[in-house]
Amino acid sequence: MMVSIDLANGSARRAFALSTDAITGKATHRVAGGPTGLDEAVYRDIRVAAGFSPAAPVVEGYVGVPELSGQPLRLVGIDPFAEPPFRDYFAPAAGGANGGSLDASALTTFLTEPNSLIISADAAAEAGIALGDTLTVNVAGREIAARVVGLLRPADDVSRRALGGIVFTDIASAQEMLDLRGRLSHIDLIADDEAALAPIAALLPPDASIETAAARQNAVQQMTAAFEFNLSALSLLALVVGMFLIYNTVTFSVIQRRPLFAVLRMLGATGGQLFALILGEAVLLALLGSLLGLGLGVLLGRGVVGLITQTINDFWFAVNVQGVSVPPSSLIRGLAVGVGAALLAAIVPAIEAARTAPQSTLRRSTLESRIRRLLPWLVVAWAALTLAGAALLWLRGGGLFTAFAGLFAVLIAAALLAPPLTDVFMRLVAPLTGRLLGALGRLAPRDIIRSLSRTSIAVAALMTAVSVIVGVSIMVGSFRGTVIEWLDQTLQADIYVSPPNVTANRVIGALAADAVATARTWPGVARAVSSHTVQVQLPQFGRLVQLVAVDGDVSNGNRPYAWVRPDLGDDPWPALMAGEGVIISEALALKENLPTPPPDITLPTAGGPRDFPVLAVFYDYSSDQGSVFIGDATYRTLWDDARVSAVGLFVEPGQPVDEVTAALAARFAGRSDVLVQSNEALRRGSLEIFDRTFAITSALRLLAIIVAFIGVLSALLSLQLERARELGTLRATGMTRRQLWGLTLLETGLMGATAGLMALPVGYALAWILVYVINVRSFGWTLTMDLRPEYFIQALLVAVGAALLAGVYPSIRVGNMEIASAIREE
Amino acid sequence: MIKERVREAMVGEGAPGETAPPVVRLEGLCKAFEEGGRQRVVLDKVDYQFDRGQFVVLLGHSGSGKSTLLNLISGIDRPSEGHVSVLGTRITALNERDRTLFRRDHIGFVFQFFNLIPTLTVLENVTLPQELAGRARRELEPTALRLLDRVGLADRRDAHPDKLSGGEQQRVAIARALAHDPLLVLADEPTGNLDDETGERVLALLLELTRDAGRTLLMATHNPDIAPRADRVLQLHDGRLVE
Repeated sequence: MMVSIDLANGSARRAFALSTDAITGKATHRVAGGPTGLDEAVYRDIRVAAGFSPAAPVVEGYVGVPELSGQPLRLVGIDPFAEPPFRDYFAPAAGGANGGSLDASALTTFLTEPNSLIISADAAAEAGIALGDTLTVNVAGREIAARVVGLLRPADDVSRRALGGIVFTDIASAQEMLDLRGRLSHIDLIADDEAALAPIAALLPPDASIETAAARQNAVQQMTAAFEFNLSALSLLALVVGMFLIYNTVTFSVIQRRPLFAVLRMLGATGGQLFALILGEAVLLALLGSLLGLGLGVLLGRGVVGLITQTINDFWFAVNVQGVSVPPSSLIRGLAVGVGAALLAAIVPAIEAARTAPQSTLRRSTLESRIRRLLPWLVVAWAALTLAGAALLWLRGGGLFTAFAGLFAVLIAAALLAPPLTDVFMRLVAPLTGRLLGALGRLAPRDIIRSLSRTSIAVAALMTAVSVIVGVSIMVGSFRGTVIEWLDQTLQADIYVSPPNVTANRVIGALAADAVATARTWPGVARAVSSHTVQVQLPQFGRLVQLVAVDGDVSNGNRPYAWVRPDLGDDPWPALMAGEGVIISEALALKENLPTPPPDITLPTAGGPRDFPVLAVFYDYSSDQGSVFIGDATYRTLWDDARVSAVGLFVEPGQPVDEVTAALAARFAGRSDVLVQSNEALRRGSLEIFDRTFAITSALRLLAIIVAFIGVLSALLSLQLERARELGTLRATGMTRRQLWGLTLLETGLMGATAGLMALPVGYALAWILVYVINVRSFGWTLTMDLRPEYFIQALLVAVGAALLAGVYPSIRVGNMEIASAIREE
Repeated sequence: MIKERVREAMVGEGAPGETAPPVVRLEGLCKAFEEGGRQRVVLDKVDYQFDRGQFVVLLGHSGSGKSTLLNLISGIDRPSEGHVSVLGTRITALNERDRTLFRRDHIGFVFQFFNLIPTLTVLENVTLPQELAGRARRELEPTALRLLDRVGLADRRDAHPDKLSGGEQQRVAIARALAHDPLLVLADEPTGNLDDETGERVLALLLELTRDAGRTLLMATHNPDIAPRADRVLQLHDGRLVE
């Protein structure tokens, strides 16, 4: 599981880095502008006034090309004449270091024919596209026909993969397509040192800045760091469950061979040699298991990468993953963690075996009596580790790593409590089961207590897996409940008009002016509020946030706030509309550890950086990067941007909302650049994204349960091997096969019930940590804990069900035992 | 029902012109094991019968097939050929479940290694077979306690087997084997794991509670010293029973 998540995360990260590298090329710096980019005159000034070279203008944005890919692609507008120093894909066939393969006629067409595209030859072949084919470029719903005039065939594999997610066009076509006439996204530069850039800095407009090529890429990639870290940490949970199983297996193998070890000790083998022997075996088996795990991880990674890429596309940035790449570093890491975990789990039984005297090399009874003596100490260890975990969670400055360390400490501590609690629970339940089920009811709990060293490990493994289910279910449920309530409060308008989004959760592009005017004045509409969302980098924090220009509150005053400046009462909107400041999201405040009241926020306006007082902090679950609301008038003045991303319409009281929505949708019928959605449709869409985002947690939960299931199964099988004579005696003295099945299933059922009951408080603790610590530190979202009985009932059912299922095969097996040979064994 | 039928048959014993059925009848009994791809014949066409109240000793070296014969008589194992009838019931014709139920109702078993259930107390071990038959523990306790008293362990009724000596454990095993009042008791090396003195006491107790009470006792042993006390002594040699 760990390898699959690692590979999927890595593939998404590499795909983004590759496509960014492919666009960045050999550029060392870039001139970047504000939300609307740079005036193209800046490029001329750099080349002419500052006399700087090499410099290359770039216009880029995300588009959909359905014929080419189902995922968003980067449309990159370039000037072929300025390109060669930066990206050698466009060099003549013979000249490119990358084996540039465009022939001269392709470049000529590219320059002379508007809306001509150059794409990767591999991507074209995969999609069945030939030179000269016409493709549909979808930009925020507007569909533009464009012709493929060139195919890139870089010689090296890295470039080939990188180009899979990129579509090149000439700079003028890109400006047209992306509605950025006269604007540039950025200007690439190659400079030997910072001093060479001084003449450029002097002539840049106030909203433009020079940044290193790597800085921007880092800022973008940082967005998904918490998401990736969360996934990696969750994947480690399966490893923890797996370690219990390794411990059980090694202990079993030691006990099974105790006569051999005793003889070896008699013959002079030292404890150290036995220790090395057992650890050596563990390493060999771990190597085999890990190699198998690597293979399965690669297969699983192929399945998981789609889910991860979808979430990244939904929330942060578009990334086009061509497939799961399997770098040796991931495999080595997986192998090291697998072998390391196995060694760690094998150390205790190895020490046990090495320490024992030759005449009693780790008999089961010796181990059991040790476990019994250990029970009080396990309670002490539980308390100590839980306290340590709580302390780690308390440390705010520690960030996500200490938060997860705290979570794991609490979880492992709970596992330590499994032996004493199993012992107590079985003692409590034995009189009841004895009364209800007679001899079987007395035998089952006592057998569990008698083999506590094995049964409690299976209970611990199952408890851990079920706790994860409870914890993640409560977290996801709480999250969903919070989002639903937040949507209810925030989305008060009846109809929403926006361009269709290439990615699901972010508005890209803008509405055509006529669509905005039509929507605002549509019959039956009482009031309209508009918003325009752009991405800006806050110079104060180096963080990319959404800047949202609003001309009214789409929540109609229902929006919940974490904090409002006291002099504004409950409603900060009049002050916002008056341009007195900005409203920031809770995610921004929490992620930047802003105090209350928050300090002024510096925004990079067209006239240069400018400070804005914070009027309020609002709850926002649409972005974990942070959002800043600014009054529409202020934005228009300071950024010189007239675009509108979305309009919310409030229907007049008494007017049938459905009919008004349908009429407006009919008005825009045939226009692919306008999407009219009812309030309900927008909410439904938002929840679909939510459910899609958490789909991966279902896979993780299921895998944890499978591992625990195998744990119970192996524990039972080994217990039966150890108790063969006892079970044979039971059969010889008159226990029927069916009664033996009943006994086995009763034992597994009791183990499952113990694990399930333990998982309830532990799962709750995990949920608390996930909701109030991990989520806040990862994404800056405060959630309302939503505890429902079904989470706990489900956990109990899963625990007992998994345990009973795990008991089926062992009961059939034990039922078919040869009694005669079983009772012969000593 | 099987038990009632058997009892009825035994009630008829001694009536003029009637002969009581043998407690155990072996007919052409064969048992072979596969060992390294070759068949090893342990019992070869054994025909024999044992009557009520007899103490029969089966002698033979290790691996001669003594335990196998007891397992076949108890229905724990199945023969390669031939039949076993116990108390008039051909148990080799019964299915696995019925064999188990028959064994539970009519046969007592004493093992070399005592084979007490470690998680049950002395008293619970004694009542176990009948509890498995569905009888309430409360109604079984008086008989079980009487038996424990007979074997001298009534005061250890709540102890667990690991707190008992080897001899005490075997006495509990004898009480367990007799708790359901079986007509046939099978003992596989019951003194094999005890010192001489303890073994002698256990043997005396076993005889007192079986043969002296009219039960049939079949005992497998490699100890020839026991033979003089038996009603019949049989030797297992090359798969054949020799008197």
